[in-house]
Amino acid sequence: MTTIATESAVSLRTRILDAAERGAHLRIVGRGTWLDANRPVANAEPLSTRDLSGITDYVPGDLTLTARAGTTFAELRAATEANRQWLALDPYGSDEGTLGATLATASAGPLRTYFGGPRDLTLGVEFVTGAGVIARGGGRVVKNVAGYDITRLMIGAWGTLGVITEVTVRLHARPAADESFAVDVDSQAGAGEVRTLLRRLPFKPYACEVVNGSLARALTGSAAAQALFRLGGNAEAVKAQRAALIELGTVRDVDPSVWARLRTIEPADAVVFRLSALPSSMDATWREATSIVASASNALVHATPALGIVRCIVPTADRDPTPVLAGLAGVKSTLIAERLPAGAWSGRGAIPDALSRRVKAAFDPNDRLNPGIFGGM
Amino acid sequence: MLFRPSELLTYTSDALPSYFKQPGLAVFPGTRDEVIAVVRELAVRKIPFVPRGAGTGLSGGALAEGVVLIGLNRLTRILSIDAENGFAVVEPGVVNVALTRAVTAHGLHYAPDPSSQAACTIGGNVAENAGGPHCLKYGVTTNHIVALRVLLPSGDIVNLGSVGGEHEGYDLVGAFVGSEGCFGIALEITVRLSRNPEQIRTLLADYLSLEQAAQTVSAIVATGIVPAALEMIDQATIRAVESSIYAAGYPTDAAAALLIEVDGAVAGLEHDVATVEALCKENGARTVRIARDDAERTRLWQGRKKAFGAMGRVAPHLVVQDAVVPRTKLPAILAEVSRIGERHGVRVCNVFHAGDGNLHPNIPYNGSDASETARVHEAMKDIMQACVAAGGTITGEHGVGLDKVSYMDLIFSPDSLATMCTLREVFDPDRRCNPGKVVPMHSCREWHGTPAARAASGSR
Repeated sequence: MTTIATESAVSLRTRILDAAERGAHLRIVGRGTWLDANRPVANAEPLSTRDLSGITDYVPGDLTLTARAGTTFAELRAATEANRQWLALDPYGSDEGTLGATLATASAGPLRTYFGGPRDLTLGVEFVTGAGVIARGGGRVVKNVAGYDITRLMIGAWGTLGVITEVTVRLHARPAADESFAVDVDSQAGAGEVRTLLRRLPFKPYACEVVNGSLARALTGSAAAQALFRLGGNAEAVKAQRAALIELGTVRDVDPSVWARLRTIEPADAVVFRLSALPSSMDATWREATSIVASASNALVHATPALGIVRCIVPTADRDPTPVLAGLAGVKSTLIAERLPAGAWSGRGAIPDALSRRVKAAFDPNDRLNPGIFGGM
Repeated sequence: MLFRPSELLTYTSDALPSYFKQPGLAVFPGTRDEVIAVVRELAVRKIPFVPRGAGTGLSGGALAEGVVLIGLNRLTRILSIDAENGFAVVEPGVVNVALTRAVTAHGLHYAPDPSSQAACTIGGNVAENAGGPHCLKYGVTTNHIVALRVLLPSGDIVNLGSVGGEHEGYDLVGAFVGSEGCFGIALEITVRLSRNPEQIRTLLADYLSLEQAAQTVSAIVATGIVPAALEMIDQATIRAVESSIYAAGYPTDAAAALLIEVDGAVAGLEHDVATVEALCKENGARTVRIARDDAERTRLWQGRKKAFGAMGRVAPHLVVQDAVVPRTKLPAILAEVSRIGERHGVRVCNVFHAGDGNLHPNIPYNGSDASETARVHEAMKDIMQACVAAGGTITGEHGVGLDKVSYMDLIFSPDSLATMCTLREVFDPDRRCNPGKVVPMHSCREWHGTPAARAASGSR
């Protein structure tokens, strides 16, 4: 029954109440695969959700799955693949990442082009607020408007309102064909050109990423910038979709493992950020991003033309990231920092609006959870 | 402004004939500035109010008891259309289908399509997180709203979400959509527009048993084909439709029919149509009819979309119900619903979004017959309980409103309901905006009054 709190939630509440008694602050840790991106969560004890693992309910015919927050993508994949189904969500990072962390950070990868992100694929969550209250929003069915949407409120809240303990997601049946292709594109104009093509095509690819030369070299061995496509549907549809890409240039088959490599390519010490604007500005956003990272010849840059987003990965092992960070100061697009050096977080990402601050005060009145994770809210 | 009882009569109910509440007065501002002025004046005087769109709601959600009703249906301006990026900014009173009509020339449409789309407003759709047949593939309202300019009950104006790119921070657009008019008034709504499919194919399959129809639904979904719509219509509904002016050519001797739509790029679409057709037949369909042209397609859909109107022939009143079960429970729940109908001596007509497991058990009845009315309510209660027991929920797209407040305890714990109240109080601390709806009053205890909350915030 959805009206009864899970054991996971009860045990987490005990730990939150214990921290409250000691006046301690908590930093929520899943598998720890993502580390903390050097975000300034200060003076906080780790609150691990690692033990909250396992799928609790999965009826393949319903295409819904309920799992504890610490369940990894690898576990989800193993369970769903057996039924020719999948959770069409591929956040950057390894398959050891957890469902809870992905929702909390609203992380999505290339499949977002077709399937949307966590807010579109999540049906319900159970969580424990910073005040120690166990709540559940949504449900286990694919359509539900009962009650206010506290489910979507948890997605992208970075654990600052509550700790997610259990999640119900919508699955998709695997298509008959799911194939990947690459086309060489111009290093400057490519992203804009692909965006223009996508607008004209009568279908939406499952994924479409434009990668710069350094990234293409690492992923496919190509010397040039490339557009990577993932096309799904019945075999006839995929064949026709592939044929439509010829407008861009020669279409080559690529191994589908290219997507897993793209998700895991960033070194742990990299500076990672996204620039985001209207899709119609794709060309300008791409050019702006490439100019910011121009000082780092090994920067890996990729764009999602359907959404107008460019993601930049700047390895820092043998290079000082200062010029890149300086370049971030004047960007015209929306800048979203994923991973920065510790000193660069100050003041960044703090939520300025009063309504959001009131939400925070209502759910976590003593700033118990992940204090400072936004950079100083 | 209306204040005479005779004038207010129109506003005493919505499309659900079970509740009647008389507003104290009704105002119909003609501009956003007038809405702001009205709400600010009410804030100063601490007077509760209820926002209302076209009044097509099915949960009693827009009824105002003695308080001020603010009709938003004069705010019908489409403020901007960005065809290139697929966005439009609209006022709350824009009628759902009017928006689609306005963007048709760009090859776009607004995807959520409630059956009332010819009358209902985008503002009301946002409040209810409205669905519709095509939400199976394209998602419900919340998947199509990217930004909102909201007038809070305090009179303050906030901008939620953002159009240009990703939004960082709390998903307050997500929180607002589906808040049933309890969080404020959306003055400007930025919606995502969807590209019109290159081709649409509509099929009608009919069956001698409900169970076979339900099995077909599961079989189609399991293939990975996501139909644009997958609707089930039972015999009682078919007969009501076929004897009305909305007759669509559904076979009246069938126990159930499935209306299935597959859309997308031309290439490969016929393959999906053939797969769907074969699955229908494998699962017992007597005939599968494929619409040959737009006219036939429109006619097949007309029967479905006007089914509620057609039931007007059966009895003067109609309860259009809404609940969701896991898709695999459809055959069992349909049998249970039929037993419940028999037990209470009422006639249940099912016409619903089978692909989503979203039931609409409808009961035509005579509202002036007190005994029948009471039996209808008892049957509805039993149906809700059966859906919850099957792992479902009490509403998939119509909202809680007044009608389902008493069922909220069935699916949410007291702490979950209290948490929802907490969120409401962020937007509406005085609980003046659409009072008495969605969450039962007894759940809205003071946040810090719970033992757990006291313990958590007690020491630092």
